[in-house]
Amino acid sequence: MSTKTFKGGTHPPERKERSAPNVIEVLRTVKQVVIPVNQHFGAPIQPLVKVGDLVKRGQRIADAEGRMTVPLHASITGTVKKIEPRMQANNLDGLAIIIEQAAEDETDFMVVLDPYACTKEAALARVHDAGIIGVGGAGFPAHVKFAPPPNKPVDYVIANAAECEPYLTIDERVMEETPEDVIDGMAIVMHIVGAKRGVVGLEDNKAHLVAGLERAIASRANGAAITVQLLTTKYPQGGEKMLITAITGKEVPSGGLPMDVGCVVSNVGTLKSVSEAFRQGKPMIDTGLTVTGGACETPKNLVVPVGTLAQDLFPDVVRYDESRLRRIVMGGPMMGPAVPSLQIPIQKNTSGLLLMDSAEAKVYAEGTCIRCGRCMRACSCRLSPALLNGALIANDLDLAEKIGVLDCIECGTCSFVCPAHIQLVQRFRVGKQLVRAKKQKEAQRAGK
Amino acid sequence: MPANNLLLSSSPHVFTGVTPRKLMLSVIIALMPVTIYGVVLFGVPALLVVLTSVFTAVVSEAAFRAATKQAIHIDDLSAVVTGMLVALISPPSLPLWMIAIGSFAAIVLAKEFFGGLGANPFNPALIGRAIMLMSFPAAMTTWHVPFKGIIDATTGATPLNIVKMGGTIADVGKGFVDNGLAAASQYSSTLWTLFVGNRGGCIGESSILLILVGFIFLLALRVISFITPLAMVGTAFVASWILGMDPVFGVLSGGVLFGAVFMATDYSSSPLTPLGKALFGAGAGLVTAIIRKFGGYPEGVTYAILMMNALSPFMDNLRVKKYGFVPAAKPVAKGAAK
Repeated sequence: MSTKTFKGGTHPPERKERSAPNVIEVLRTVKQVVIPVNQHFGAPIQPLVKVGDLVKRGQRIADAEGRMTVPLHASITGTVKKIEPRMQANNLDGLAIIIEQAAEDETDFMVVLDPYACTKEAALARVHDAGIIGVGGAGFPAHVKFAPPPNKPVDYVIANAAECEPYLTIDERVMEETPEDVIDGMAIVMHIVGAKRGVVGLEDNKAHLVAGLERAIASRANGAAITVQLLTTKYPQGGEKMLITAITGKEVPSGGLPMDVGCVVSNVGTLKSVSEAFRQGKPMIDTGLTVTGGACETPKNLVVPVGTLAQDLFPDVVRYDESRLRRIVMGGPMMGPAVPSLQIPIQKNTSGLLLMDSAEAKVYAEGTCIRCGRCMRACSCRLSPALLNGALIANDLDLAEKIGVLDCIECGTCSFVCPAHIQLVQRFRVGKQLVRAKKQKEAQRAGK
Repeated sequence: MPANNLLLSSSPHVFTGVTPRKLMLSVIIALMPVTIYGVVLFGVPALLVVLTSVFTAVVSEAAFRAATKQAIHIDDLSAVVTGMLVALISPPSLPLWMIAIGSFAAIVLAKEFFGGLGANPFNPALIGRAIMLMSFPAAMTTWHVPFKGIIDATTGATPLNIVKMGGTIADVGKGFVDNGLAAASQYSSTLWTLFVGNRGGCIGESSILLILVGFIFLLALRVISFITPLAMVGTAFVASWILGMDPVFGVLSGGVLFGAVFMATDYSSSPLTPLGKALFGAGAGLVTAIIRKFGGYPEGVTYAILMMNALSPFMDNLRVKKYGFVPAAKPVAKGAAK
């Protein structure tokens, strides 16, 4: 099978070998969960429960009207202890519902629904009711993604199985252990969006999964035309835009969405949740993640209730060497935020918990640009990072916008390759905010 | 509970490990074959020129930064590279105080005055050479026959000099045979001698073969891009041919290849974008050929690259199309929308 890829990118050390062989351990319940209310991208939702309420695993505990919202569910059976702002993985405080484990262990799932027997509206409603968001990125509500407007027909449903972030192995394990669920979820999404073709985009460092996935396609695809496509192992191969370009050869237009080129891209974890929402009536209440890193003594792939505090995994589930721990990262090392403590809840879209030691977690002073051009070659969006950096340092927001700061996907490749350790992507993140604010101001002025 | 010695920083949290020092070190390694060969050709005086130049460059940079209360970073080796480059494009017999002035000018006038590493608009080594060429025209154009020593050896013209003074390539070949540098004087044998580099000229520019070795090394480590050198040599070749000069001789003699590989690829004085690099190289190649044909100097690489340096910032506007580029919608003409 030929491998496909995109132009640019880089190859960070993979460091997946410590956790990759380990079978997923499932934690059914924990002593407490801190569930951030707003984990999705979109309009905020409000708690439906109050302190003292007894909630069951799977029960809806927060919701709101509106298309860009998804409901939130209790991930363990227990008592609501507090509803208060808590620090989250983005290093900001956000409203969270804190539930303490109760003795009984009941579940409150939805009824099982046959995705091929119900209407598409009912199927989309189920995806919404299950609180499914894209777990590969910003947490975009899945039911919105699966309902493109009629003038944007979808040709491809792409399963994002690249897992291009170093260290992370949870998607690999999910595909190894339960490929049927992933393929089933994919076939359901293809049915909902009316796509004729499904492609599992897999980096070629996971080529050993092809046979299992193809067996699952034979048994669970329900007649949908799904193929597995190997992709070059290269970061950011799992970036939505890069994945689409590698597989279809098309580029998502600037400012547009995958649906503009007839694609719907979903992460492996999201697709598994879709399958569970129909076949078991189970909402998105568990998160799969990899816990690893140099300071982690027992690297593992875990499935834990949403809202589990990283702290509560230690030392019973995972052990780490406190003396060597220098940095905690929620997610992968290329895009995941570093957090100040382990008192951070694991969210629906948390894919990893890295406990990095001092050999891995280095901090460098920013040097001066020597114009070597490494970032120019590596940028996955061909954005000329060195020039963009110069424009932002000079505070020339017009030039920054022209070069394309708003198209930056913040993959961090430029900062990774920079010999002078210039804060490229970090500056672009700020630059995006500044350019957006400036555009908003201009629009207001024009409106007057 | 983790203690508060945890590091917090914005992602990414991993890096390649490539540093400016490693990049400079690879340039130094790429320059070693031509440097060593220059010493083989011209003996100890050439070695002294190189060492003096490097020493002066490093000391000037440290002294200037100390005097202006800036952090000293001679450990990034960029001054070593500049010092080597100034020496390699100078004649082997150059008095040491002259090379010291050239090296000082390269570091202080061309580099540190503009902000140091990464900020110099013109190639420092070429500025150093240009200043020496204007200040010491005689010493900078005194050439020597290889393997004959320098102190009491016969001086000889460079191949480009011979041709500039109205000679032919056959005259160049005859000169090679007379000096025992080639066995025969026919055209192919002359070109082979030029390719190997057994000829008079600047310390580092003579051996095309060893320059190519350095070029391939730098390409393999992805330290430089192939675009600029290819565009420069290609354009010089075509332009020489159009202007009625022997293009193969033009590329193999003189400093066009050394300039294309080690000078036109200078990070801070050349464009960053691929299209900019191509235009920069093409312009430098064209100007080189024009100077060789019509100019007062037999060689034109120095001024060709310096001229293109001045245009380099504008060439950076030739960016590649960003991912998903959508052309701006044309304003709808009045009435056309109806």
